[in-house]
Amino acid sequence: MLQRVWALALVTCKEGIRDRSMFGILLFALFVLGLNVAVAGFFMRDLGKVTVDMNLAALSFAGLLLVFFICINLMAKDIDKKTIQLVLSKPFSRGEYIFGKYFGLVLLVLSTLALLLIFSSATVAGVHAMYPTYFEGFSWSIFFLAVAFIALQLALLCAIVVFFSAITTSSFITLIFSMASYLVGVTLEEVLFYLKSQAAAGEVVASESLRSVLEVVAWLVPNFAAFDLKVEAAHGLALESVRLLTVAGYGFGYILLLLWLATLIFRRREFN
Amino acid sequence: MSEIVIDSLYKKHKPGLFKKPIEAVSGLSLKVPKGTVYGLVGPNGAGKSTTIRMLLNLIRPDKGEVRIGNKSVSAAANADFLQAVGYLPENPYLYDHLTLRELLRFAGRACGMTADQITARIEVLTRQTGIAYALKRRLHTFSKGMRQRAGLCFALLHDPELVILDEPMSGLDPLGRKMVCDLILDLKQQGKTVFFCSHILSDTERLCDKIAILDQGRLVREFETADLRAFRADERSLEDEFVAAVGEVH
Repeated sequence: MLQRVWALALVTCKEGIRDRSMFGILLFALFVLGLNVAVAGFFMRDLGKVTVDMNLAALSFAGLLLVFFICINLMAKDIDKKTIQLVLSKPFSRGEYIFGKYFGLVLLVLSTLALLLIFSSATVAGVHAMYPTYFEGFSWSIFFLAVAFIALQLALLCAIVVFFSAITTSSFITLIFSMASYLVGVTLEEVLFYLKSQAAAGEVVASESLRSVLEVVAWLVPNFAAFDLKVEAAHGLALESVRLLTVAGYGFGYILLLLWLATLIFRRREFN
Repeated sequence: MSEIVIDSLYKKHKPGLFKKPIEAVSGLSLKVPKGTVYGLVGPNGAGKSTTIRMLLNLIRPDKGEVRIGNKSVSAAANADFLQAVGYLPENPYLYDHLTLRELLRFAGRACGMTADQITARIEVLTRQTGIAYALKRRLHTFSKGMRQRAGLCFALLHDPELVILDEPMSGLDPLGRKMVCDLILDLKQQGKTVFFCSHILSDTERLCDKIAILDQGRLVREFETADLRAFRADERSLEDEFVAAVGEVH
């Protein structure tokens, strides 16, 4: 079973790496990292924070482009072009197919992120060497932890892509649903906080029913904002291990739940 | 395990919401004995490919049962029965960015073969199908005929007992067609069961031990050894029988 899952993961990853869009995404990320070095001198204050923030944002954005434009395509192509018939004619169970594809997407995201991290670290180290006084609170360990949580966030997003690919018949619908889940997941915590604080201050800005609906949505859609450690990395703020473990457990739990649901749905699906 | 039994199979396709279901297979029953070459012919939309997809559990019958080696396919909790099955779909779409060698390695690993076994089989099969020269080439550079040959290698890599081919001659030049015919005869000599559908009646007539004509999802005629002997002796023609059988239904 593991051999089959690994074989499919490897093939999926290779297909993704050799996709031409990959070069575009890598070039874009490298351009942003290079831009960071070029414009670093223009900032009068908080140069260290801007550098770290810009680097993490570039890694995160490149990862998002990768998931939305390559990973969705890798899932959809199999079904649209009927390659899945060829794969499922080998002794793959539907569950093995789902896990194989998922691990392939994660492998692709992780290897791209690892490559970009080398350039990103070089950028941060370069700016650090040029302007050491602005990096007093900077910590490499927090920087790498922030990148690890970007990777976990992207792994969760890959699980969402796999889940929607299992239930829809069109890559466009998968793209719309995955993007919507991400945007809702990133912003909902802040929206709810705002509504609660307004309610506490006695200002009614939204109806009770809308608030209840948003709270239900908050339970359904993963909270992507929880994985964002850019502020802590930029300011060199210490991170509590309990928080990190909780967020990591939340992420892995959500991934397993989504893959299990995707497998259940995929078992019932027909490939005509 | 290679004997196929198709028992009173029904399948309707649902083209979309609020659209009338289309009956693709309607009460089809047939048996494919072990070690035979069985050909399924019929006009476009007769239900040949749908039948093949039900054999592989890619789609499920509405009614009826498919058994491979006395095991019900739809009731199979896992896909282990596919260990002994090789399948070539019509116009196979392969992973574009992989090389042929990578694709075949994937097929071997998926079937639990060792690296040495995979290497040896790749060498034999690619030579047999005449595509060994393209092992290092990416699949998106392949012509239609080369894809068909690559698909054949993919299907046969793990040396399956039952080979299911959907239009194996599609897109092949005369040399390619001869290669596929030789391959099927070779499989027959090895005692494998071959189940294939085709529009090329002359090849079907030459290769098969049994032929069935399918039309509108129903089995309209089945030809046994005696009929095939008459076809080969030019006493009767499969083409005439085909036109007569399909014409009767229409």
